[in-house]
Amino acid sequence: MMLRTVCSSPLAPSVKVKLITAGFHTAADLTDVQPLQLCKAAGLSQEEADEVLRTLRDDPSPVQRRAAVQCLTALDLLHQEETRGSIVTFCSELDTVLGGGIPVGRTTEICGAPGVGKTQLCVQLAVDVQIPVCFGGLGGEAVFVDTEGGFVVERLVGVARAAVEHCAALAEDQEQRGALESFTVEKILSGVFLMRCHDYVELLAELHLLPDFLKKHPQVRLVVIDSMAFPFRHELEDLSQRTRLLSGFAQKLTRLASAQHGPAVVLTNQMTTKVSSSQSRLVPALGEIWGHAATQKLILHWEGAQRFVSLYKSSSHKDATVPYQLTAEGFRDATVSVSSFPSRSPAAGSHSKRPRTEH
Amino acid sequence: MVLLREGLCPGLSEDLIKALREGDVRTVEDLVLSDPEHLAQKCSVSYKALVAVRRVLLAQHTAFPVSGADLYDELLSSTSILSTGIGSVDKLLDSGLYTGEITELCGGPGTGKTQTCFSVAVHVAHELKQKVMYVDTNGGICANRLLQILQQKTANTAEQMNALQRIDVLRVFDVFTLLSCLQNLRASSLQRGSVGVGGSVKAVIVDSVSAVLSHMLGGKQNEGMSLMMQVATELKIIAKDFNVAVLVTNHVTRDRNNQLKAGLGQTWSHVPRTRILLQRTEQPGASSSFRTATLLKSSRRPCYLMEEFDLSPQPQEESRPRFAGKRKLDTDS
Repeated sequence: MMLRTVCSSPLAPSVKVKLITAGFHTAADLTDVQPLQLCKAAGLSQEEADEVLRTLRDDPSPVQRRAAVQCLTALDLLHQEETRGSIVTFCSELDTVLGGGIPVGRTTEICGAPGVGKTQLCVQLAVDVQIPVCFGGLGGEAVFVDTEGGFVVERLVGVARAAVEHCAALAEDQEQRGALESFTVEKILSGVFLMRCHDYVELLAELHLLPDFLKKHPQVRLVVIDSMAFPFRHELEDLSQRTRLLSGFAQKLTRLASAQHGPAVVLTNQMTTKVSSSQSRLVPALGEIWGHAATQKLILHWEGAQRFVSLYKSSSHKDATVPYQLTAEGFRDATVSVSSFPSRSPAAGSHSKRPRTEH
Repeated sequence: MVLLREGLCPGLSEDLIKALREGDVRTVEDLVLSDPEHLAQKCSVSYKALVAVRRVLLAQHTAFPVSGADLYDELLSSTSILSTGIGSVDKLLDSGLYTGEITELCGGPGTGKTQTCFSVAVHVAHELKQKVMYVDTNGGICANRLLQILQQKTANTAEQMNALQRIDVLRVFDVFTLLSCLQNLRASSLQRGSVGVGGSVKAVIVDSVSAVLSHMLGGKQNEGMSLMMQVATELKIIAKDFNVAVLVTNHVTRDRNNQLKAGLGQTWSHVPRTRILLQRTEQPGASSSFRTATLLKSSRRPCYLMEEFDLSPQPQEESRPRFAGKRKLDTDS
């Protein structure tokens, strides 16, 4: 398009300055220019001149560009969304609130105080994403990026075994029984790719490599980052730098999820205390702008001895709060009412870390 | 300014350009700013030819004066007001989004910015039967939700599908692609002519403009500001020249007194003509679907007007069991 300007193209600032001082402002100015001419006129190197011409001229033949910006109607999008499906959480009330589970192709943030079950939910999802299609699952694989070192493989085994047993109990027809033969704990374990990142540099690097990894493993339907907060809360002194890094990070994750066969992206975040006019409350960490990053936000919290999960932000469903519990099998519906819940040590405050059900 | 080249205007021959280039005059700007008499001597070209070229170039690049009366006539014939589909927001906006203007919604996470955008998109596509361009930069678009809003308006499936087809969705995740999308829209509108019958875009929604810009601003980066202003210019041109209502969303930050203010800083705050702040209604305990909208900037209504509205006016929420097998799994515990 002849309306493209030099300023608005993704070129290095120094190249842009050279072009503009030489009098080239729009793509129209560059239509009849040969690379060599451009080198001389603007004082660019041969490679730079080639790049400039490629960038500003590629629009008439938008093979590559069309792939980047696909113009869909909302109807196409609706069909796309219907084929994507979602990952069940094994907590039916939460599934109802979310309209079937954690949606594939979107970013979901899970916030909560320590010990409330963020990692547990992530492990549960990493198993659930592998449930065979004939059981209503996705038959996918999961990438688990662990930044806190909180991933415990024994726990994964426990949750996986429970899921296999659960499916075995449900198997009715021939197809489901057939699928069960390959749906084993070993199979589930080999379908979870763990990546341990120690600091935010590693995390950023991992994010840049993830698209290639996903291309090599097209079955991956879930990417978990547990947690976003840990590397960014401890190592970065410059707060505005952190905010910028995080916003860039958020855009990359959204792009990853929104791709053609993009996975569900699940991030966990810690809580921080915010003091405002004589009262304090717990809010998600990493600042207010990060709050815009994920399209859905779940907050896990305690109320007395009962755990609750709240849908706080969603572009498709209403806010709601439902109870859940963590058992040896994993993330489940709350079976007992609050009053009959076995009372725990009175010392445990409402936000303190408390022992999980033993497994 | 534009580089001097042959064919730019009659009388600007190759020889003349070459001669001028010797005298370090390369662009229209250089030529217009230099003294013709002096230049004619320096480059030994004809003074007459130079003045003629200069006059034509000036005429080409100048703005054309329009009388106020003509402007008013045009305003009356071309401006339309698009309802947002939310009564109380319309009240704040003096009955809706005006074409030819940029309106901004700002608010924290989960305050209903995207929902308001959905409402506008559905209303324009369904009630007004006009095309909408929805630029999604943060992955928030959800066609299922658009369908839900449509289902509240009409039970006719064909109408719902038609309305959805009138909403063009562009998923853009960086500012360069956003700019090229906007430039493409401008180019295609130019080709079609701004008075297309039912086919031209009436509303452009960018949700959110801060998502692609905020990480490029601040620190030692100079480029972000320039890119931000280019986005602003493109949006303004689209709004004004093609008579389109532009709706953008923005995040909020807090100033030193812990007061909410719109994101992207002072410079951006001049861009939208009207600005609305969305907030959750503070209720201890249960979260509700009620939000407040406050008018922060407007040329029609007094500022700091406040209205309350409900994001999901329909109390019942249908749960759609999409997978037969899922239900069975859920019965466990």
